[in-house]
Amino acid sequence: MSKASVSYKSRGKEKKSSMERSLREEIGPLPRIVLYVLLLGFTFLTLYPLIWMAINSFKTTQEFLLNPLGLPNRWFAKNYSLAWRLANFSTLFLNSILYTGISTIGVIWFSLAAAFAFAKIKSRFTPFLYGGFLIGILFTIESLMIPLYLMAFTTGLVNTRVGVLIPYIGLGLPLGIYLCTEFIKGLPDSVIEAGRIDGASYLKIFIYIIIPMAKPVIATVAILNGLGIWNEFMLINILVSRGNLLSLPVGIMKFSGALASDYGKQFAALVIGTVPTVTFYLVLRNRITQGVAVGATKG
Amino acid sequence: MNPPHLYSKSEERRAYWLLVLPAVVIYWAVTAFPLLFSIVLSMTDYSGGPIFAFDFKFVGLHNYVSMFKDPYFWISLKNNVYIILISVLGQIPLGFIFAYVIFRKLVRFGDFFQTMIYLPAVISPIVVGILWQTFFSPYGPLTKIMQHFQPGWRSTFLLDPKRAIIPVLFVMLWMYTGTYLIIFLANLQKIEPTILEAAKIEGATEFQTLWHVILPALSGVIVTTIILAISGSLKSFNLIFAMTQGNPARRTSVLALYMYDTAFRGAPNYPKASAISIFIVILSIILIIITKAVENRYGGREE
Repeated sequence: MSKASVSYKSRGKEKKSSMERSLREEIGPLPRIVLYVLLLGFTFLTLYPLIWMAINSFKTTQEFLLNPLGLPNRWFAKNYSLAWRLANFSTLFLNSILYTGISTIGVIWFSLAAAFAFAKIKSRFTPFLYGGFLIGILFTIESLMIPLYLMAFTTGLVNTRVGVLIPYIGLGLPLGIYLCTEFIKGLPDSVIEAGRIDGASYLKIFIYIIIPMAKPVIATVAILNGLGIWNEFMLINILVSRGNLLSLPVGIMKFSGALASDYGKQFAALVIGTVPTVTFYLVLRNRITQGVAVGATKG
Repeated sequence: MNPPHLYSKSEERRAYWLLVLPAVVIYWAVTAFPLLFSIVLSMTDYSGGPIFAFDFKFVGLHNYVSMFKDPYFWISLKNNVYIILISVLGQIPLGFIFAYVIFRKLVRFGDFFQTMIYLPAVISPIVVGILWQTFFSPYGPLTKIMQHFQPGWRSTFLLDPKRAIIPVLFVMLWMYTGTYLIIFLANLQKIEPTILEAAKIEGATEFQTLWHVILPALSGVIVTTIILAISGSLKSFNLIFAMTQGNPARRTSVLALYMYDTAFRGAPNYPKASAISIFIVILSIILIIITKAVENRYGGREE
């Protein structure tokens, strides 16, 4: 599984052999042109709507309706400050950071702890408990929407941060535990035995030996879980309605309902919602694609 | 594996539960428990209010019958099937072709193209949904672009009940092709380079290499991506919620949205919504069983 992390960047450097150059020539010019057209077409389709969105965030709504395609006559940056205040983006960002940060730390901590036990302590309960988590990877979380809401409602956890964080952590565990268990299984037993001979308890071994060694898998789980929670909408949309507890996606959703025809602010809000994840992706591109590939084929 | 002379059995057992229990409790509390709860609820006529007042009757499978008789259930199910089809016939083949082309370096700038094609997948589905809703709207740029070629053209895409699902499917293609590209590329890179070189030395053409070496090596991954596409279709709530809310006339609804509407729009009908959720669960369980069967047949996923 960790073999998936062969960075193809390094492979690209290691062979610029004549074999590959000839491969590019071998398929002939016509198929090559077709491939370029296809790839450039997709690139255009990715970039055009995003650039279009960014340009229109600088138009007033009236100008957008008259001129939805061209550049603005007058760059109206005020859309941003208006949208920011209207949707209270400061609060939205703070909440999104809190939900994403706390739930990701929770998922990593509980996943590593359980994974350590599953991987390195023999127990006849492991097949049952670990199997339960594995089923959760393929499980459709959407189907739990209604009972989760009714449970939160019954226990008074609707409109609380805890009520959001508990399901976020619980539903992040299957993938986290799977990736961590497979990783810790791959660690040599000798490392743990060395700790035992020194008289360290399991807890000490966990904190001082396992966690430092698990950094690569921690990064993968953090990226997958972080991106997932940052963009999560379905659950928080029903669990929380008070303005001061909303996350970014729920706040941005307002610009589709009552404010749908206020295009200037809508585009500004969309840009504000796009910038964080796209920046994150462009900075950590290789790590993210590795993580997604590992997470998805196991999911 | 664990020399018994270093740790006593009871200490080992205590450590095990100390490590495992928090995860197990949280996980079961938000999955198994609500699931059981949902099964019970789906067979009652509960209509809101405190649940532990037990102010409801058991009605057997009434809610399931009502679901199967509901035309919106079938519309939603049909849209789920369309979404699976666009994945299997669109995203997966395109993702594979792009991954293959980049892996074999048939074009330059593979790294750049990969980044561009995957980029939409990291944007929030809510942002994507609102963006494309505006794009396809009668005031949107699509109308202006088309009017260049055909004056008087009007965008009725998202208004026409029969065709409204088409733009939704297009956006799904736009958003998720890159995910399949990444999955295929990662698994292509696991193929031993020596095998490919051997094929080359023996004079295999590009097409022969693809057909006889690469595709067989990826058979397990292809199956996995199809399973992913199917379970992904059951999860397509967010994008559609932001883009169309299931409209016009609920013709772009999917099962998850149909369940949401039943529970939260208009008069709440939690038991029927629970019946829908159990239906989705059963569907996913069938999928898991098929996955396992296929995996056994093909000798597991690519390792």
